[in-house]
Amino acid sequence: MIRSIHLGEVIATRMPEERAGVRVVRRHQLLVRWSHWLNVPIILGLVLSGVSIYWASPVYQHKPDPVTGNVDPLADIGIWICAHVPGLHKYSNPSDWVYNHVSLGPGMLAVALRLHWLGAYLFMLNGLVFTLGLAVGGGWRALLPRRTDPRDALRMFRYYVGLPLARLRRHPWLHPRFNTKYNALQRVAYCSVPVAGLLSVVTGWAIHKPMQLSWLTGIAGGYDNARIWHFWLMWVFILFVVPHVMLVLVDGWDTLRSMIVGWSTRAQRLEDL
Amino acid sequence: MTRNLEDESVASQEPESSVRERPPQVIEVAPQVLRHRTRRDVLLFGAGAVAALVGGGSLLPERTLKRMGVIQGNKNWPKTEWLLNRSLRFDDDVAEALYSRNRLVPTYAKSQITPLRNNYNGATPDPSYIPEWRLTLDGLASGLSVSLDIRNLLGSFQVHDQITRLVCVEGWSAIAWWAGLKFDDVLRAYPPMAQAKWARVDSSVNLGPRGNPDPYFMSIDLPTARHPQTLLATHFNGRPLTVYHGAPLRLLVPVKLGLKNVKAITRITYTAERPKDFWAERGYSYYDGI
Repeated sequence: MIRSIHLGEVIATRMPEERAGVRVVRRHQLLVRWSHWLNVPIILGLVLSGVSIYWASPVYQHKPDPVTGNVDPLADIGIWICAHVPGLHKYSNPSDWVYNHVSLGPGMLAVALRLHWLGAYLFMLNGLVFTLGLAVGGGWRALLPRRTDPRDALRMFRYYVGLPLARLRRHPWLHPRFNTKYNALQRVAYCSVPVAGLLSVVTGWAIHKPMQLSWLTGIAGGYDNARIWHFWLMWVFILFVVPHVMLVLVDGWDTLRSMIVGWSTRAQRLEDL
Repeated sequence: MTRNLEDESVASQEPESSVRERPPQVIEVAPQVLRHRTRRDVLLFGAGAVAALVGGGSLLPERTLKRMGVIQGNKNWPKTEWLLNRSLRFDDDVAEALYSRNRLVPTYAKSQITPLRNNYNGATPDPSYIPEWRLTLDGLASGLSVSLDIRNLLGSFQVHDQITRLVCVEGWSAIAWWAGLKFDDVLRAYPPMAQAKWARVDSSVNLGPRGNPDPYFMSIDLPTARHPQTLLATHFNGRPLTVYHGAPLRLLVPVKLGLKNVKAITRITYTAERPKDFWAERGYSYYDGI
């Protein structure tokens, strides 16, 4: 019995009758693919320069250390790492360890600011390209949250949690079936990241122009709160990217190719429903 | 074929909605078409990735690349700051376009005042300069050089109070209570020469990191100097400025970053050409509008 929903519309192309063609689904619009990949260097540059800017005046500070005068918990983490990780005992500036590894480096505010402005303007332009791609290709519809999302997200979550154990015990472990482009967990992630991008831009301007755009700074909860929001919005990207890359690699070549070429050969899966 | 017909009949029973996800478009292509397209796009993608790596990497500071081991020793790394400088100028142009003389910055109540730190680059100057302190005005329409002491200034101009936020380029900020003369009033009393577009604000008493003399100089565009909240501040928290905050006269320009708020001003020079700027020479922006 075939269920009725969202079966692909097959467009016959010039195919000789006797030769078998490959059925492919158009998954990602050209502009969406371009902006997706351009985001990689742009966001990386924004994070590296952003942490260097953070160094100049950390959002989170504790009381000055009586010996070193240090107020920055990130410097404490560096000192701890150098004291406890084998091979790092002779690291010349333990308090700079974190900044030396996740930013351009300490003491580089001027160049970090210039890199951050370049990245920020490119990020905003790229956001427009992405939005245009979603609008032209109609892909935005697949990103909208649905009423069924909480229940379906739970099903997917159960699937991911149980998967490793099922694999180990060689038990069959079925992927929940969806007739939509994304499952509910994907939809939550792919919908919230553009929103986080928009909020990063808004809080960024709130910090950058707190006088001329003071109304915007007010919306962001004032200058100091806007800095805190901006800082944690960076973490949304970092926390998204890690499972995002892992799951793509696990899912395989077809998924990766669909973001490069735009096509997926998993047309079959949709029709088996 | 029958399958497609069946789908349509069922789908049409549901209300059509513009936000409902559309069925995916399935096309049938020859295997070699898929292969060729994949090869073409993957090659293009690889070329783009290499370009991004080289292009993006070349924007990183030399010190970062050395630490990463990308460049070694004292090899000369080509200066690739054109794009970074261009984006800084673009951002300055945006800031200048956003500026309006009529837009006032937020003011605060006394209960919202926060502690204000002194971000003197080196050491706070020795107060011995204060008895002989005078403000010199140059580049005036009269062609003369005017020298004023603090009594002249306080006696001939109205003093205005204001509680505003000072924002440092480093990211911290403080709400402070200031009082002083409007820069605009001084500009009216001692008009600059007709072609002047800038004011160069000097502090000759500024010290360097080791307590060495290190004169501080900043440029400020005249439209910003004429902003109603741009003060030549004389008082902090209701009392005359201390040396710590730039006695006896400092620039208070809340529409600019803190680094433009020169402490212990000794000279203001109006110029047609953009003057030198202490922090712009060190890689920061010229305009610094916030």
